[in-house]
Amino acid sequence: MTAAYDAIVIGAGSNGLVAAAALGKAGRRVLVVESHDEIGGLRRSSEFAPGFRVPLSVDTGWLPPTIVRGLALPSIDATTPAIVAAVAADGDTLALSGEPARAADAIRGRSARDAERWVAFTDRLSKLVGFLEALYQLPPPDVDAAMSLGELAPLVSLGRKFRSLGRADMIELLRVLPMSIQDLLDDSFESPLIKAAVATAGIRDIRQGPRSGGTSFVLLHHLVGARAGSVGARPWWRAGPDAFIESVAAAARANRVDVRTGARVASILVREDAVTGVALDNGDELSAPIVVSTADPARTLLGMVDPVWLDPEFLHAVRNIKLRGCTAFVRFALDHLPDIRGLDDSSAALAGSVSLTPSLDAMERAYDAAKYGEVSTAPHIEISVPTLRWPSLAPDGKHALVARAQYAPYHLRGGAPWDDTRSCALGETVTSAIDRVMPGFTDAVLHREILTPADLEARFGVTEGAMTHGELTLDQILFMRPVPGWGRYAMPIDGLYLAGAGAHPGPGVLGGAGWLAAKRILRET
Amino acid sequence: MTSSQRYDAVVVGGGHNGLVCAAYLARAGRKTVVLERRPLVGGAAVTEEVFPGFKFSVFSYVVSLLRPEIIRDLELPSHGLQILPLESTVTPLDNGDYLASWADPDESRRELVRHSPRDAEAAIEFGRLMHHMAMAVKPILGMVPPDPSSLAPSDLRGLLKLGGHLRDLGAERFHALYKLMTMSSADYLDEWYEFDPLKATKSASGIIGTFLGPRSPGSAYVLLHHYMGEIDGAFRAWGFQKGGTGAISEAIASAARAQGAEIRTNASVERVLVDGGRVRGVVLENGDEITAPIVVSGLDPRRTFLQLVERKELPDDLVEEVERYKFRGSSGKVNLALSGLPDFTCLPGIGPHHRGAFSISPSVEYLERAYDDAKYGHFSRNPYMDIVFPSMIDPGMAPPGKHVMSIFVQYAPYNVTGGWDDAKREAFGDAVVKTVARYAPNIESLILHRQVLTPADIERITGLSEGNIFQGELALHQLFFLRPAAKSAKYRTPIKGYWQCGAGTHPGGGIMGASGRLAALEIAG
Repeated sequence: MTAAYDAIVIGAGSNGLVAAAALGKAGRRVLVVESHDEIGGLRRSSEFAPGFRVPLSVDTGWLPPTIVRGLALPSIDATTPAIVAAVAADGDTLALSGEPARAADAIRGRSARDAERWVAFTDRLSKLVGFLEALYQLPPPDVDAAMSLGELAPLVSLGRKFRSLGRADMIELLRVLPMSIQDLLDDSFESPLIKAAVATAGIRDIRQGPRSGGTSFVLLHHLVGARAGSVGARPWWRAGPDAFIESVAAAARANRVDVRTGARVASILVREDAVTGVALDNGDELSAPIVVSTADPARTLLGMVDPVWLDPEFLHAVRNIKLRGCTAFVRFALDHLPDIRGLDDSSAALAGSVSLTPSLDAMERAYDAAKYGEVSTAPHIEISVPTLRWPSLAPDGKHALVARAQYAPYHLRGGAPWDDTRSCALGETVTSAIDRVMPGFTDAVLHREILTPADLEARFGVTEGAMTHGELTLDQILFMRPVPGWGRYAMPIDGLYLAGAGAHPGPGVLGGAGWLAAKRILRET
Repeated sequence: MTSSQRYDAVVVGGGHNGLVCAAYLARAGRKTVVLERRPLVGGAAVTEEVFPGFKFSVFSYVVSLLRPEIIRDLELPSHGLQILPLESTVTPLDNGDYLASWADPDESRRELVRHSPRDAEAAIEFGRLMHHMAMAVKPILGMVPPDPSSLAPSDLRGLLKLGGHLRDLGAERFHALYKLMTMSSADYLDEWYEFDPLKATKSASGIIGTFLGPRSPGSAYVLLHHYMGEIDGAFRAWGFQKGGTGAISEAIASAARAQGAEIRTNASVERVLVDGGRVRGVVLENGDEITAPIVVSGLDPRRTFLQLVERKELPDDLVEEVERYKFRGSSGKVNLALSGLPDFTCLPGIGPHHRGAFSISPSVEYLERAYDDAKYGHFSRNPYMDIVFPSMIDPGMAPPGKHVMSIFVQYAPYNVTGGWDDAKREAFGDAVVKTVARYAPNIESLILHRQVLTPADIERITGLSEGNIFQGELALHQLFFLRPAAKSAKYRTPIKGYWQCGAGTHPGGGIMGASGRLAALEIAG
């Protein structure tokens, strides 16, 4: 029997839709199967209270220009970068504009020295980030690349890009990547609140603290696509949080891609070391010579594939992937939006993101708990109010506030479960922390939704509730992602490709892995 | 009155690297003098009779990293180098049991099987891998680090050599090496072993001399650094020098003299004399001037650049690099004079195990919590300790029937809250003894004398900045071409004729001598 489709893509998130659109554009017949009733995956906005519909992350991520060009997507009208702010419970506040000069003015009040250094600091960051942007639009180079001609071209263009940094920044890039965000910031600044505001993006979704080596890389990763001078917030779509998903879905459909929602894949079918299709949990079998999974590596390779087809060494490596979900989300439906005490333009800041952690030590102490499988008693909390960007996401005059709390480790000490008691306790901790900086907050709450890593796993199917599909530690990026030596999308079973955030370039690069995986497929088959 | 004398080369500081450098320079026919501030040579590798009849390797206490080529070239055995093997390591466990590794491999294997047959299996493969990794690193430790940003022929040659070397490793070993360079020792060991005390004891060598915990990325490299000796060192095991580590320094000094080098003690260098960007010699505290076209500093980077020479002689960006170079001394030393040997409850009685080391590392969490104390400015209440009884192996170290006990302790942060004073030093000493007593209750009754050394003491006595035993942390951003500074790696400085040869240069810490040798080879061309 001949397959109805050339390829089946598992998951209709940004990577899945981009991969499908790219394959369809090349004339392949593609089916996308999505377990949810809606497309969009993790980034999609969802209704969590009647009339309140927002995404978990206000960070829209970065859409690489190569993909916009490659899929001829309509240019998405993005705004100027938002503000990154940090506030302390004692009422001390700092709001950093995406405009370096204005940010420097805001800093001058607390430290003239820090203000002097700010512009140079952000300039340098954006130079280093520029290199990552190039790196993230190419397949990861590996040590054996020089042996295979196909891989040589990107290596050469990367080398050229590296050289173009100039001597000082070449050295700086190599020096900064393995550094801890704390060392990086201590070298430049003295004011605790400035360090706290910048470090936030360095520990986002990673079970590491600001003293951990490699967190400077995590900062750079989250600055990819951010306007030069901004230290965290990337531009966002005026049209709404789902603008990108809708445009890429349209592009996919225009390329004859079929999308089946409400279709959960139970297993990937393999015969004689080659994929033959997928089986859905309703029993349906869909055949295709190519299966592209955008599920996380653990779920794909340990959950969907019969282990007999994979060699033990490879399985061992997959089991060793550090997923380590440690972020919990709390979504609040608010009757009205109180101001943050001591912040001049509270709304402007809340349209971006506001960290409630006043110092690096406070972040580090929050992390300490996670090392021992405990939930932070004073977690690192970031809040934002998407309805300030997109008022239509809530009923008139009302607002939705999203809080991210670290650290809430998926694996609790002694294998304790994430039960209601724990999850409510975390919700209370977050609520009262917000109330301390936003008087009247608790009274404004109409509804509260708590999503622990266990909930995220259950709802989105991300193993260990790791939105990253694998922590962004230096040993899990580039040719080490998802596992060492398998960084080029093709998995050890013929026709099986991994194209989710668990592959290079990782989370936050919209369609990045899907696009590069599709390129690989089109080159090979 | 000031006298004046001429030499081809002056070496500032008679630590082991300075002595090795002087020996090689003299061997190359240079008229060389070593100037040591203290009455004895050795720097941090000295033996002193701290209490009447009781001799201690006051600071560094075991050896394994000393480069074989240096022992050969300088014929150190004929100058008194005599290493006595350290036969075992015993880790007392909190449940009253112990984990041991013995001189006899079969016995060690049986011991490991007792705790975990799986780990006993894994240990064989792990040993094999670490051997390959040490072999992979060896040529890198032995090369002058090339500057990746440079287009100079020598650098490009070095980079090609390095690139070729890494490619020749093959993907699998390259990836393993990359993991060791970037991971935490505990995470790395988690991939191999299941028995926690084994992981703790092994990961302990990943934190020695650093301000890192076993879960801090970067500690796996320090683990490998310490493995070098066990695999590639002259002795392939940790050992004692007969007469203490001071006798190693004496042996190197004697070899240097035999090559024609002159060694002066009680000769403290006040300043390095610079004329028009070129060294002219040095001036001693007593006013004596010594003229030489070459001055080599064995001191750490802070003293080499910010104390021995005027800042105006150096480019600002180098000064900035040196100022941000991280020392962060984290370890202390407690030396005890004992009336007898302590009786460990896990292995009752006095036996062959007293000829080896005792590692106080009952669990990874124990070590990590010890680190947590240090992060927030306190010495560890329950510290990691590496304990040896040199008098058991070399009776000459103590009066008949009596013993000396050497306790290496982490963490004792240099920047302890409120600073170090006599009271805090004694409190630290008490915490150490109290912790030992938990495993060997009779210890307190045996103590005749006690010497407690904090990082502040180590700095005061040896001159090592912040008491860091490696002349600066072995952190990824301070290694290879970044050690001590991108602007001044390769043993050179911007001042003509002014060189560095201390552990603050590549490849860094431990009684290795590699820096001194490489520097001399560069100087002698």
